[in-house]
Amino acid sequence: MTTLRRPAHRVDPRARLMWQLGAATEVVGLATALVVTSLVLDLYDLRWWMPALLATYAVGRVGLVPVWRYRVHRWEVTEHAAYTQTGWWARERRLAPISRIQTVDWDQGPLERLLGLANVTITTASAAGAIAIAGLDQATAESLVAELTVRADAAPGDAT
Amino acid sequence: MSGPLDDATWHRLDRRMLVVQPVQELRRFLPLLVGAFVAGGTARGGGLGWELGAVAVPVLLGVARYLTTRYRIHDGRVELRRGLLQRTLRTAQLDRVRTVDLTSGPVHRILGLSTVRIGTGAGADQDLDLDSLGRDEAQRLRVALLDHAVAEGAPLAAGGTEPGTAADAPAPEPDRVVLRLDPSWARYAPLTSAGVLAAAALLGVATQVAPDSAWRVDRLPDLTPEGWGWLVLLGVGLVAAALASAVLAVAGYLVTHWDLTLTRTPRQWRLVRGLLTTRETSVEDARLAGVVVREPLGLRLAGAAELGAVVTGLGGEQKGTLTLVPPAPLATVAGVAAEVIGARSPAYAPLRGHGPVATRRRWLRALAPVLVLLVVATAAVLLADVPAPVLVPIALLLLPAAALARDRSRSLGHALVEGHVVARSGSLVRRREVLGVGHVIGWTVRDTWFQRRQGLVTLDATTAGGRQRVTVLDVPEGAGMDLAAGSTPELLAAFVLDGR
Repeated sequence: MTTLRRPAHRVDPRARLMWQLGAATEVVGLATALVVTSLVLDLYDLRWWMPALLATYAVGRVGLVPVWRYRVHRWEVTEHAAYTQTGWWARERRLAPISRIQTVDWDQGPLERLLGLANVTITTASAAGAIAIAGLDQATAESLVAELTVRADAAPGDAT
Repeated sequence: MSGPLDDATWHRLDRRMLVVQPVQELRRFLPLLVGAFVAGGTARGGGLGWELGAVAVPVLLGVARYLTTRYRIHDGRVELRRGLLQRTLRTAQLDRVRTVDLTSGPVHRILGLSTVRIGTGAGADQDLDLDSLGRDEAQRLRVALLDHAVAEGAPLAAGGTEPGTAADAPAPEPDRVVLRLDPSWARYAPLTSAGVLAAAALLGVATQVAPDSAWRVDRLPDLTPEGWGWLVLLGVGLVAAALASAVLAVAGYLVTHWDLTLTRTPRQWRLVRGLLTTRETSVEDARLAGVVVREPLGLRLAGAAELGAVVTGLGGEQKGTLTLVPPAPLATVAGVAAEVIGARSPAYAPLRGHGPVATRRRWLRALAPVLVLLVVATAAVLLADVPAPVLVPIALLLLPAAALARDRSRSLGHALVEGHVVARSGSLVRRREVLGVGHVIGWTVRDTWFQRRQGLVTLDATTAGGRQRVTVLDVPEGAGMDLAAGSTPELLAAFVLDGR
């Protein structure tokens, strides 16, 4: 049976921390909303199961999902192709030939800047075919962009 | 050789376009004008000043547009210059021109004019619009734009190409008509998804307007004569509405697709259609990525289908898919599909099914919601004070769900034949999608935790036209990877493990 092997490289281990920080911010926001609406504004009574539900969600969102995500996320760029694997519950593997690359984007959010990480996005002529690598080490991301740009320039045609 | 498209000369729009604008504006302002005359006449008399201004301003704008718009083909580019205060110059490389659309509304047709829209694939707002040219000039422009490679060396083409190439080139084949619309196909129009949707909406409206008593079957014997009157009225109304929507669907079909003709020219496909507004679309061979045979349930039961072309760089309202054949007999549609892609098997060949696991998944996904609903309702009957008969309609839902699951699992299939990826799925709207392997840009392989356990993946071949992807739903991983590796071997070579 023909199968796809997984891409060669993991993303930077700090990506796990980045996803955890992002999720923690969300959980803190939810907890604040819960406290404000029930205790401060007194819109409803705070029952025991409400914080329990939130705690369960927090454990999954902060403790479990980022770890799972880090185990899935992988990437590889060869002479001819870019190949990524993302997701956690639903996994997605994307393949695109270097010759069909249209743009190579590099971006960095506030959390990424704090941790020294960056994202690289490769787009093709298909709106459904963009390849995104999140949580790369900043220097790795920069050299990857430089490399891809040179290779894409070398390819002939208009990449449709 | 001379002609209206010589190098470096700027051309204007046709002078007759000056008439189009006032006529269209007058038509738009007609109710207002009538109102102004009536109201003005009875109230004060006169006071028409600003209404006249409302007509005059667009007319003046039209004159300005005529005076300031120029276009030319020069040095391998088509250039469009316009604007009075803010001047713009838009240029497009001739080899980036993907489609040329000629549209003539009723007013345009009386005056012998055509609007030309030149698509470059960069999105509708980047299209070059020429409103309007004389019909002959528009045709010459279309030929010049799309035949630039064929006409290389000929005076029409731009830039200094070496002479002699034209003489060496073989004589082009004459144009050949591949399909001409048979008006009797309009009988399929009410069966399309749009027609069925309209009927369903009518039914919904009917249930809303009828008084509640009309729906209590157990109280039918007690109905007053007035109640019976309502019921009869409702029945007659429903039948009349269904007939009306069918007639509308047929009329819409004929108006849009009247005299539809698909022509094969040496390097393009040309599609002309329309009763009042005629539209002519030309697509270059290299831009035709594949075709889609759509079979909405109603059409499929009647042995009919429709055909769309997946065109790269087709922007605007057409969203990358061009309707080549409106609802028509399946045999006709398949024949045109085979002709357009230049291969027979992608349109006709039997597909490879996705196996028992994928079938089980279709059944589970169709039945699970109904079963959950049934469990909840049973609990409500047992625990709360809910009458038991409520379970009957829910249980009856299992029948259509089962029919859907059966049909959906039978639809699943894929193939790689004669250089085309073929995928089929769906029930209410079954689609057989055909994509040339040269137009496959990349692959997306998706699997959820459940799919991984079952050894299935959902495979997308991404492309620059149509829906941007062709989806092979729930295919066993080995078969899916064989399809991908067979279509684009050099792309997957480094990443596949052959575990045989």
